[in-house]
Amino acid sequence: MRHRTKLSKIFTISALASGLLLAGCGDDGKDGKDGEDAQSVVGTTTSGFAIPDGAIFVAPDAADGENITEALSLALFEAPEDALVVLPKGRFVVTESIVVNSARGLTIAGHGMNETILDFSTSNGDDAFRFQGGNGITVRDLAVYEAPKNGIKTTNVNGIHITNTATVWEGELESDNGAYGLYPLKSQNVLMENNYAYGSADAGIYVGQSENIVVRNNTAKNNVAGIEIENSSMADVYNNIAVGNSGGILSFDLPGLDKAYGSNVRIFNNQIYANNADNVGAGVVGAVPPGTGVIILASSDVEVYNNQITDNDTTAVAITSYFLIEDDVASYPTSFGATIVDGWSPILKNVYLHDNTIARNGGAPRGDLLAPIIGGYTSDQNSTGMAQTFPAILYDGIGELLSNTTDLAGFNMIVGADAAADGVNYDPYGPEDRICANRNINGNPAPQYEEVNTGLVYPTNPADLTQFDAEGNPLPHLLIDQMVNNTYLNCTQPRLSPAVVNFRNNIYGCTGDDLAEAACAL
Amino acid sequence: MRSNNKTTIAIMAASLFLAACGGSSSDSSGGAPDGGGTPPPASSALNAGAGAPTGADGSCDATISGVNWNALMSEACPKLSDYNLFTNASDPTAAPTQGGVPYDLSTALFSDYTSKYRFIFVPEGKTVSYNASEVLDFPVGTVITKTFALPENTAFRDGDEQVIETRLLIHRTSGWVALPYYWSSESDATLAIAGKRLNGLTTINNQGQEITFDYSVPNAADCSSCHSIVPNLAGSGDDRGQIFLPIGPKARYLNKDFTYADGTVYNQLQYLAEGELLTGLPFDLQSVEKAPVFNDQVPVASLSGDELNSAARAYLDINCAHCHRADLTLPADYAGPAGSSGVQLEYNRVYADSPSKFGVCKEPVAGGKVGYPYDVIPGSPDNSYLLFRMSTDDNRHKMPELARNTVHQEGVALVSSWINQLPSASCSPAP
Repeated sequence: MRHRTKLSKIFTISALASGLLLAGCGDDGKDGKDGEDAQSVVGTTTSGFAIPDGAIFVAPDAADGENITEALSLALFEAPEDALVVLPKGRFVVTESIVVNSARGLTIAGHGMNETILDFSTSNGDDAFRFQGGNGITVRDLAVYEAPKNGIKTTNVNGIHITNTATVWEGELESDNGAYGLYPLKSQNVLMENNYAYGSADAGIYVGQSENIVVRNNTAKNNVAGIEIENSSMADVYNNIAVGNSGGILSFDLPGLDKAYGSNVRIFNNQIYANNADNVGAGVVGAVPPGTGVIILASSDVEVYNNQITDNDTTAVAITSYFLIEDDVASYPTSFGATIVDGWSPILKNVYLHDNTIARNGGAPRGDLLAPIIGGYTSDQNSTGMAQTFPAILYDGIGELLSNTTDLAGFNMIVGADAAADGVNYDPYGPEDRICANRNINGNPAPQYEEVNTGLVYPTNPADLTQFDAEGNPLPHLLIDQMVNNTYLNCTQPRLSPAVVNFRNNIYGCTGDDLAEAACAL
Repeated sequence: MRSNNKTTIAIMAASLFLAACGGSSSDSSGGAPDGGGTPPPASSALNAGAGAPTGADGSCDATISGVNWNALMSEACPKLSDYNLFTNASDPTAAPTQGGVPYDLSTALFSDYTSKYRFIFVPEGKTVSYNASEVLDFPVGTVITKTFALPENTAFRDGDEQVIETRLLIHRTSGWVALPYYWSSESDATLAIAGKRLNGLTTINNQGQEITFDYSVPNAADCSSCHSIVPNLAGSGDDRGQIFLPIGPKARYLNKDFTYADGTVYNQLQYLAEGELLTGLPFDLQSVEKAPVFNDQVPVASLSGDELNSAARAYLDINCAHCHRADLTLPADYAGPAGSSGVQLEYNRVYADSPSKFGVCKEPVAGGKVGYPYDVIPGSPDNSYLLFRMSTDDNRHKMPELARNTVHQEGVALVSSWINQLPSASCSPAP
């Protein structure tokens, strides 16, 4: 028989939730977000964002240390379109992952990244926040501490804006810190700005398999990778600070992913310094040599310019094919056949470094991945026969060389029709494919001026090949030349296009709200 | 019991009704449930007399003898009993209200060793359409209930158990929604939008050991983490949303015998088809996909190579491929929530076409762990990250991400054996 009980605790809570939702429905969704607010403003975040009284307030009276998991889950479950959900001031405990599905126009705001801190150290979940599907989502003015896995992950969202938000794993950088801090994946129109990412055992700010991306004015500190753009297209990374990471800023194309390859990544006007943390990461990022400013790995159509890249112990900029990670070229059709069909390529083309200021790098090169190369350059086992400061710009050259010798021509048979039509091939490099470094500025003071150099592990011109092993495979030549007035990589490439982010019908980036920004004129 | 003889079918259908109406041997009248005034069913369909949504706004307080369809279609009721889905409101494991049909799956998602009781309710006059590889096409109005109960001893599932939660999937006009109910008392379950964490549940496992773990009733938003397919956004202006779907009731998992309440043992798909609930089932049942039965009693060590492969592929499919899937039989330009991860584990994916899609010699992209260089290393399960992720409760690494708080020993053994017998690959240890 049916048994009617009195109002249970959970019913009280769901009634409360409907109350919250109603409050949200009464908001026209525009109020308070653009300063044209008819409602009264009840507060302002540290970044100047006005909070109207019509917002949905989560646990407004919660005391420091209180567990606000349930209130937060209830407020976000089926939140109305264009809802503004405001978290209280203080440091609070959250014990589950907060999952938000198919949200439209949702804004989640705290009062500031130092004012609203969500502590996930006792969470039973994995990610702190996960947004799946939806569009026009903003996260702002809050901090996520000690997430068991990732900080804020978004998948398949069109329009994600994360601003004035921190993800932090406190203390030493250790392998059991969380994975990614701010983590848009498979998303469109990604705007990441004014954030702080600290202590991730993978990448502090990571954008993967996404398109139309602006990452600006962020600080990434003490992560394995500071900022990483992976298998993504149309990305601008500018005005950021990457400091104290193992690798500062990374542009990667990794094999086997659904979006097989990226393109048009611009990295400019960033300060990338002292990225000398020991690498505690795993997987491919675990191979990043500590002390690396910028790494371009197997990713084509990348422009790196007007950055300050200094005080990184290994190298300022490493430009490398995937053959550095997996050197058995003959195994690629078997190991990577499917992803090569989709257009992923172990080689990289059209990388252009210019106008970067490069100083005081290479003082203590390390990292297993580069060990033989470091050994060669820092002993007499390089082309000069004398120990050298490790090159500030290091290019592996092997992918280009093997393309130019047509040793990779067989891969052309594997590339799928779509990728081939998009220009993916293994033909000898034409001028438009070349890796170029020009007009970079040597920032070393006088006696050390000569220590800023460009290194080529392999010559790219088959005519320059002089050393082979017993089977006739080319051996590393470890060439080195001055970075300024250079002979190596002495070419230019056309400038890449700026990224355009359309978020809630506003345009962001160098062709939008930053039209007058100095970095955008560089 | 399988027969195409119509007389047999008619008898079968009649006996089915009795089960649906009362579920107890004492009720042999075939009359209305709840002793109410519902007229006898006019047709022989399994859902005859079940009623249907009227389109009117529902009420959680409605007094009704059948399923409270209108409330299901519009309301998130505070108590499970408000929907009147079970003849005994305090027992969601048996005796559904008229029209409810039980089912189970040949290989099921592991959920902390709980037993699961599943029922489908299809509104009167509606039918389910067959789909060869995806979930059956359930009409608007369909309700699927799944109740989780932790047995005292997982080796004796007919013994005492603790009923923990009942999850509803409701196909509304606007799409599927999910509602979790937690059995907060002996008599009823209450809506748990924010989920519920139960500390220190204990059971005796199949090896006779007592295990203790925390159990998570997922919150309502978590449901979409697994139950959705997501659009591969095609460009800056693509604002398609995700699509919510059931996972389990696919032909290949239903294509097995089930023992119904009246003792009838019958193939579930045929039962639904002959009960006029399922249309489009191929006449030749041999042509219908069939996943093998895998449960904790299946001795992995004695499976043949082919059986092992099928069982492991079904296990990976039902446990992983709701997220780890892309292309194949999905709607165009949609993928599972982990469709971007590079590991795709669908039952229908041809292994030989691309072992790397199964993680073979593929480096972990997101995360990873020192000592586990590749997701799957044929011949070396203990260094395979995929198996590690199944074998740990650490939130940083565990898979599946949700609703698993203890390790499924039998599943790990199955997948470990599968990895061991995969064809050697470039990352395999030297023989």
